[in-house]
Amino acid sequence: MKRQEFYLKLADALEITSTTLSSNTILSDIDEYDSMGVMGIIAFVDENFDVKLNAKQIASITDLDSLINLIGLGKIEE
Amino acid sequence: MNQNHLPPFTLDGKNIIITGASSGIGKACAIECSKVGAKLLLIGRNKARLENSISLLHGSGHFYLILDLSNTNEIVEIIKLTIQDFKPIHGFIHCAGIENTIPLQFMNEKKYSDFFNINVIAGFEIAKCISKKPYYIDGLSIVFISSVMGFLGQEGKIAYSASKGALIAGAKSMAIEMVKKSIRVNTISPAIIETEMVKNMFANIPSSSIETIKKLHPMGFGKPEDIAFACIYLLSNAAKWITGTNLIVDGGYSAK
Repeated sequence: MKRQEFYLKLADALEITSTTLSSNTILSDIDEYDSMGVMGIIAFVDENFDVKLNAKQIASITDLDSLINLIGLGKIEE
Repeated sequence: MNQNHLPPFTLDGKNIIITGASSGIGKACAIECSKVGAKLLLIGRNKARLENSISLLHGSGHFYLILDLSNTNEIVEIIKLTIQDFKPIHGFIHCAGIENTIPLQFMNEKKYSDFFNINVIAGFEIAKCISKKPYYIDGLSIVFISSVMGFLGQEGKIAYSASKGALIAGAKSMAIEMVKKSIRVNTISPAIIETEMVKNMFANIPSSSIETIKKLHPMGFGKPEDIAFACIYLLSNAAKWITGTNLIVDGGYSAK
C-alpha cells in the first residue's frame, strides 16, 4: 500500500480528515483516538495487512512511523 | 434407562452432545457432566485438544467428532451418521462460538456470516437433527450458551451481540415449537468467564480497560465450571419444568 493511501484509509478508520496525518502525527494527540479509535486501528491493520496487534504493541505506538514499523516497513511503499 | 428413579440433579445414563468441547466453557461442561454420570459426544475442530478433553473425563464410553461448524450445510448429515450408535440423545449443549471486537465500520457480510454460522446456525442445525425420531427421547434438553451481550450492549460487539441475542430469541420460539415433543430448550447467558478466548480478547485491549471491565463484575470474572454447573441443572430432570428461559449466570454483571 502506498503511504498516501495508508494515511487516507487510516483517517477513514479514525473518522478524521487525512490532511491532518503525517509520519510524525502522535496518535494520542488525536481526539478521536479513544477506545473506539484503538479498536478501529486494530481492525484497520488486521483487514489491510493481516497483522493482529496486541495490547502491548498498541501501547507502544507513538507516532504513525511507529505504527508502520509494527505493520512491517515493507508493506508501506513510499 | 428409566430416569424417573434417579436423583433429580444427576445426568446418570444420559447421552449428551457438546460442541466447542475442546476448550473453555465447553471443556468444563464436558468434564463436569461426566462427573455426574453423562456419556458424552464431544465436537470440536482440533483432534489433539479433543483427545485432551476426552482424557480428562470421568467414566467410559465417551467419544469425539472432529467437525468444522462453519460448514453449516454439512452438519446435519455428519451428525446423523455419528449418532447412529449414540442415540437416544438426552441433552445437547452448544458452546462453540466465536468472539471478536470489531467496530461497525469494519463489519461486512462475510464477518456477520462467520459469527452467525458458528454461534447460531450450527447450534440450530444440530438441534434440528437430534429433535427428530429416532434420535431424541422425551425430556431431551437443549442448552445454547449465549452471553449477557445478547441483551446488553458494548462497543465493538455488534455482530457478537446480534448472534447471542439471536440465540436467546430463537431458543424461545424453538422451546414453544418443541413442547409437544417434550423437548426443553433454554439459553445460558454468562458474563466474562476466564477462558483462553477471553485471554486472547484481553491481549488486544489496554490493561486499564481490563480493570474497568473487571469492576463491572461485582463477583469478579466467572470460572468455566460456573457455567457447567448451570448446564447440568438445565440438562437434568431437576429442570423438567423449565423451557424457553434464559438463565443469566454473570456474578451480578447485569444486576447493576
